[in-house]
Amino acid sequence: MRGRPNLALLTGGTLVGLVVLAAAVSFFWTPHDPTLVDAARKLREPGGGYLLGADKFGRDTFSQLMVGARTTLYVGVVAVGIAAVVGTPLGVVAGMTPRGWLSELIMRVNDLVFAFPALLLAVMLGAVYGPGTLTAMIAIGVATVPAFARVARAATLQVMVTDYILAARAAGRRRPAIAVRHVLPNIGSVLIVQASVSFAIAILAEAALSFLGFGTRPPIPSWGRMLQESQELLFSTPRLALWPGLAIALAVLGFNLLGDGLRDHLDPKLRRIRADG
Amino acid sequence: MLTVEGLHVRADAVELVHDVSFTIAPGERVGLIGESGSGKSLTALSLMGLLPEGVTASGRARLGERDLVGVPESRVKDLRGRALSMVFQEPMTALNPLMRVGAQVAEVMTLHGRPRHEARERAVELLERVRLPEPGQIARAYPHQLSGGQRQRVMLAIALANGPELLICDEPTTALDVTVQKQMLDLIAEVAPALLFITHDLAVIASMCERVLVMYGGRVVESGPLRDVFTRPRHRYTQGLLAASRLTPRGTRLPTIAGSVPPAGRFPSGCVFRNRCPHATPACETTPALTGDGHAHACWHPAD
Amino acid sequence: MPTHAGTPLIEAVSLNRVYRRPRTSLTRPGAAVHALRDVSLTVGRGERYGIVGESGSGKSTLLRLLCALDQPTSGSIRFDGQEITGRPERRLRFLRENLQIVFQDPMSSLDPRMRVRDLVAEPLAALGLPAGDRVNELLDAVGLPAGAADRYPHQFSGGQRQRIAIARALAPRPKVLVADEPVSALDVSVRGQILNLLADLVDELGLTLVFVSHDLSVVRHVCETVAVMSKGEIVETGPVDDVWAAPAHPYTRALLQAVPTLEGLL
Repeated sequence: MRGRPNLALLTGGTLVGLVVLAAAVSFFWTPHDPTLVDAARKLREPGGGYLLGADKFGRDTFSQLMVGARTTLYVGVVAVGIAAVVGTPLGVVAGMTPRGWLSELIMRVNDLVFAFPALLLAVMLGAVYGPGTLTAMIAIGVATVPAFARVARAATLQVMVTDYILAARAAGRRRPAIAVRHVLPNIGSVLIVQASVSFAIAILAEAALSFLGFGTRPPIPSWGRMLQESQELLFSTPRLALWPGLAIALAVLGFNLLGDGLRDHLDPKLRRIRADG
Repeated sequence: MLTVEGLHVRADAVELVHDVSFTIAPGERVGLIGESGSGKSLTALSLMGLLPEGVTASGRARLGERDLVGVPESRVKDLRGRALSMVFQEPMTALNPLMRVGAQVAEVMTLHGRPRHEARERAVELLERVRLPEPGQIARAYPHQLSGGQRQRVMLAIALANGPELLICDEPTTALDVTVQKQMLDLIAEVAPALLFITHDLAVIASMCERVLVMYGGRVVESGPLRDVFTRPRHRYTQGLLAASRLTPRGTRLPTIAGSVPPAGRFPSGCVFRNRCPHATPACETTPALTGDGHAHACWHPAD
Repeated sequence: MPTHAGTPLIEAVSLNRVYRRPRTSLTRPGAAVHALRDVSLTVGRGERYGIVGESGSGKSTLLRLLCALDQPTSGSIRFDGQEITGRPERRLRFLRENLQIVFQDPMSSLDPRMRVRDLVAEPLAALGLPAGDRVNELLDAVGLPAGAADRYPHQFSGGQRQRIAIARALAPRPKVLVADEPVSALDVSVRGQILNLLADLVDELGLTLVFVSHDLSVVRHVCETVAVMSKGEIVETGPVDDVWAAPAHPYTRALLQAVPTLEGLL
């Protein structure tokens, strides 16, 4: 691997970087007010200060995309955050006591949640607490917990059979200290990879929920809702669906590539070639 | 039969094996001694055309009239497993866990054009030749059902399947128990047509080989008939290694070589051993050539 | 902790350890494997006690039991007069303070993501003891430069890593050092350095040494007493020189004959 650029990492990093940049800039500047409805600009063609044109309400598509990136990242960060904060400790505990009842309980509950469709969960939460970005984020986060717990458990199982865990026990370390000082640092790279892949899934889920009307509420721009609003004009003005669709696809691709690239980059076995005699 | 001349192996900018030359005659058993980082395994892998990605070999290596280094992969692939074959250190990872042992032995023969039914029969014969009890039953077993020693015998049977001219063994007994090791070594000595035996264990090589090459830091630092090299070592590294291999009685101090083997690419210029050598002088900053007929050494201040 | 000068330091009586293989049938439990059968041994204060055996002999299982990293199926182990079996980790403090281990492969026994300073100080931190200048003192004692403390294990050679592991084991000033094949993963040219270092430290600090190896000749260099293990049992035990000169058990004889030695071949 040495000396050869990690293409996945570079491409993924660039795509994700673009999304982050767009979101960051949108706080200070957008070409136009993304929520400003103006009948005069209705379905305006691209050009003349309107890089990608305007939608059926006359809102500037490019500005909407920029602010939509914010929503996307916001949802991703919170959903993945929930999943990581809840899933990782569960997985580590299950992995450190693989034969205990606690481990069994955690993993079986995990299976239950895993079997429950995430969209259904979001729809149910939306029905009870009202649809919105927060509901969507919580639903996506909860639905992602089992994936994190499983990955954390598998990685923990691998770490627990290493000599340095035995050495830590022999040194007198108790379980909580072993978990914090040895297990977490050593499964960190696996979790980072999982986080970036989950991020991609969360983006898709948010888009799907917004498309169905259970996600981000108007007037806050969201890529999923932009798609939904373009639905009826799909044949007359396809560009309205094309741009948010492309944004979603590239962001998802970016996070997936970033995950793959990080996996190669963080894996010392792949990174370090052994020039052994 | 095997002639290696000026073999170099490098990974990017780091030279891992430098100017290695030696020959093996038919029926001869040659030992390659070295510690980790000496380049001994890379030397063997470059002959087999099995170097890891990013690592390249240059120089000349010929088996009979056929070139082994610097030729297209397809040519080497055809020779590998037929004209020369190799037994590795770890028999568990070298065997396919989902395939019966007999089928794995037969596979190397069908790959080189032998009809299937004939290969099956010959596989059982080979298992018998490597002294596996009840070869017919062993042929139907899976690798995990065999002991480490038995698996290594299977590896040997696979290596011998196509009647190679040269057998290369890389630490074939390091993963085995001592009581199993001796039988395995005797067996290798008996069946090898010509042998290149690689190990870090001086005692093992003393029981196997007639001639030895001592490698350190990617270079051959001493070579010659085993008895000469082991009883009258000239290179200071060989001398230190032999001294360190003998365990003195309890309560006495063991002779040691100062420092540790540097990582690949960090060996000193000139004589690769000079940063650990008690006899090193400024003269050692120039690379010593491997000189001497028969018993050769590359040292400016050789032992008598 | 009270010391009982008259009693042996480690006394193991009738240890058995049975493992269950993972089940291969839905209805029946997995097969039982006897890793240890009725093993008893006594290690005196200041003794250098060698345990020799090949893979599957049960030496690693025995070692884990002696270090309370595993529980025997039956039998008892007394350390300095106190029973150590059946105790939860929080009641093993006296053992952890007084018995430390050096593992076989310093590549895998040192957490790759920890600095040397934290690795060496870990036994102290685990026992709530102050580290102070102890890390530098220990690194010096095992022949490593003080600058080593801020680096990571992969920046050291195998021999140096084993020195780090030894420094770590000595941190809480234990009475007993357990060494599990401490030189078998090392290059021959480095092996002598580590064995010399161990011998020096055992002498200087008046340690009791339990030394596990597959190689009887290494044990002969290091230890006074040896126990030869095969198939989960101790088949022969006694002063190492006696066992070496006149092995009583057929397995010990086979083991001695199988070891290739330079002297015998030249």
